[in-house]
Amino acid sequence: MSELSEEQIRAELDLILERRNADTRLTTMGAGSDDLNEGRSYLANTVNGGWHVPTWPEEHGGQDASASHNARIGRVLREFVVPDLYPFAIGLGMVGPALLTHGNSAQQREWLKPIASGESIWCQMFSEPEAGSDLANVALSAQQDGEEWIVGGQKTWTSRAMWADWAICLARTDPGQPKHKGLTMFALPMSLDGVEIRPLMQMNRDAHFSEVFVDGARVLDRWRIGDIGEGWRVAMTVLAHERAGGGSRGGGDGNARGLKLPSWIVDLQGLANEQSGAWRNQVANLYAHDATSRWTSQRAADEARSSGSPGPAGSGAKLRSVKSYKGRSYLTNMTSGAHGMLEDGHGYIETMTAPSMSIRGGTDEIQRNILGERVLGLPGEPRLDRDVPWSESRRGLI
Amino acid sequence: MTDPVHVDPLVTETADRLFSEICGHEAVQLAETRGEAPEIWNAFADTGFPWVSIDEAAGGSGGSLLDALEVLRVVGYHAAPIPAAETGILGGWLLASSGQELPAGIVTVVPNGGSELRGSVSGDELTVSGRALRVPWARVAERIVVPLEVDGQTVVASIDVEDCHVEPMTNMAGEPRDTVDFDEVHVPVAPTESGIDLEAFRFRGALSRAALMAGAIEKMSQLTVSYTNDRVQFGRPVAKFQAVQQHLVWGAQDAALARMVAETAAREANRGAAQFEIAAAKLIANQAAARATKACHQAHGAMGMTQEYPLHHLSRRLWSWRKEYGGDAEWTKWLGKVAVSQGADQLYPLITGGSANFN
Ligand SMILES: Cc1cc2nc3c(=O)[nH]c(=O)nc-3n(C[C@H](O)[C@H](O)[C@H](O)COP(=O)(O)OP(=O)(O)OC[C@H]3O[C@@H](n4cnc5c(N)ncnc54)[C@H](O)[C@@H]3O)c2cc1C
Repeated sequence: MSELSEEQIRAELDLILERRNADTRLTTMGAGSDDLNEGRSYLANTVNGGWHVPTWPEEHGGQDASASHNARIGRVLREFVVPDLYPFAIGLGMVGPALLTHGNSAQQREWLKPIASGESIWCQMFSEPEAGSDLANVALSAQQDGEEWIVGGQKTWTSRAMWADWAICLARTDPGQPKHKGLTMFALPMSLDGVEIRPLMQMNRDAHFSEVFVDGARVLDRWRIGDIGEGWRVAMTVLAHERAGGGSRGGGDGNARGLKLPSWIVDLQGLANEQSGAWRNQVANLYAHDATSRWTSQRAADEARSSGSPGPAGSGAKLRSVKSYKGRSYLTNMTSGAHGMLEDGHGYIETMTAPSMSIRGGTDEIQRNILGERVLGLPGEPRLDRDVPWSESRRGLI
Repeated sequence: MTDPVHVDPLVTETADRLFSEICGHEAVQLAETRGEAPEIWNAFADTGFPWVSIDEAAGGSGGSLLDALEVLRVVGYHAAPIPAAETGILGGWLLASSGQELPAGIVTVVPNGGSELRGSVSGDELTVSGRALRVPWARVAERIVVPLEVDGQTVVASIDVEDCHVEPMTNMAGEPRDTVDFDEVHVPVAPTESGIDLEAFRFRGALSRAALMAGAIEKMSQLTVSYTNDRVQFGRPVAKFQAVQQHLVWGAQDAALARMVAETAAREANRGAAQFEIAAAKLIANQAAARATKACHQAHGAMGMTQEYPLHHLSRRLWSWRKEYGGDAEWTKWLGKVAVSQGADQLYPLITGGSANFN
């Protein structure tokens, strides 16, 4: 498709989407409703024009858009109703882009279009009880048996597992190698025999997060993503996209056209019975942080697109977006006074979700370690287990 | 009577032993699902703890306010899902100081702020109407205590819960904070002793929350130290990472700070005038709660976000208590006004001497 102007994009989108008005509010990631239909019908509506994932190839549900054209579409999309795409975020923002880098063409043909159209939902089976920040410590094992792999082990904190058709799953295929080397990435159908999901309740009462137990599940070799032993590299691509926030396009809380104030400030004004100088200061600080953060992320995203993969800049983007979310939920909850502690209070869910923002997708500390080492070139963390076979290093403290 | 300046160590020991036995993680979780915890309440009531600091002559258990606040600190430490403050140093105190009977069961009290209640006196009858918001545990209370200002005097209505309409609502911690409607409820007029008015009640409420918060922050800090010493990543306990140690230090500092200000306020309140100390204690507890919950959650990683692990029982209570009986803005403003009204020369004496030094 040739590049359209904002006016032309708006005209196209008007044919398939509703305009958003200032009152449309977002739900909180993962603490919203269980309704998959709204997101699904939005994606089904936009997939033919390639509007939701414009940079993807046209045959896979995109429109081969350049970075600048993609940004233009993103801006216009903000004027329309885009539902909460939380259930679809792993596929759209992380697995899709990673498949474009590491998937073979058969895999791209099989998986990308259903992701873009909302037909299939993906989850991310990386973390395990003993592998959180130390992701390379995963123990879930996959052993080759002809054209199949026999998979067994446990994952945890798997968001969206109960909705998912597929998981992107990091497995240990060679315990004799040092921990980063013996890993391989697979796509795992959640309906496979031997896959069992147990919901975990979060403190914000969200139950979209689970433990997944895998016992003797048989995974086809054609579902392997990337080479054997290359799982860590694929995982890093997935995580870089997660951090850069690729999954969160849509429903953006930015300024809709003609609307001077972001909706969160409009809401805050309604809550504040006294708009003191101290309060204004906090609002303005947050607004300024958001604006600079958005521009910086945009620049990092453009760089990532021209270089093909997001770099450590995504870690900075993640830290900034966490700060925005936390600052906003804190201010909303404080402004709403005693009522804010009630179930129907403003900022109630956000306050109980806020701590997780600095944990999911890699903790703040881990993001800062990445920035320190890879951007600033500071000395690396001591890595005692780097060259030790995983089967030895996992046995105890070293 | 125990020595009024010191907490009877037996109080701490007995309360702590009681809750250690009956108020573990599952019990607190269950109370949240059911909206009540009768077993915990009954065991607590059997010891007489709810009525510590209320004169035996008035039907209380005796003991000092210091003892009562120590019990509350232990309640907070164990995240015990019971209306301990409401039945004792708030509701029980209001009843005793207006010469009314203490019921045997749970008492709650309409907290200050937000509610729209009207009282009118005719002869020796008081009529109460309107809506009360965020009433702790109203649904399981026997009586609801309502302090009111009517015709320039403070009166205390002791209302049978059967005589009002209770709409369940919960706070962040999953504890009942119900909406209660009173439709022309008639009770005898019961004026308070002099000096006990709505302002005194508001400060006493803040004092109760400061004690609960000090306990909860302390437990949260201890949990975090022990979890991070057990949790191994990258081949070592995460407590060995300096970034994590920084969180641990914040948690421990805030626990010490909150306990110190709560105890200072308790001691002064036990002696007499303590408005300055109470205002400072609640504000500092609020701020400590915000910092400590942030640090302790961060050090726990995803484990702290799950209901299966007990951190949230403490953090969610702290976020709620922070908003009761005065949020940060309210107490900051109060303290600022007092400081300004005393004048520049009196600032230092105010800080060092506290309530005893201002007029
Ligand atoms: C809401 C939510 C959703 C999630 N969804 C998913 C999902 O869908 N799929 C999935 O695979 N995972 C998911 N996770 C897991 C997430 O990726 C992990 O929680 C995260 O990587 C941190 O691991 P951990 O929780 O084990 O914390 P730990 O690694 O145990 O960390 C504990 C503390 O130690 C610190 N720490 C650890 N190592 C270092 C270090 N080297 N230097 C300094 N500090 C350090 C951490 O920053 C943290 O403060 C989710 C988590 C949450 C909270």
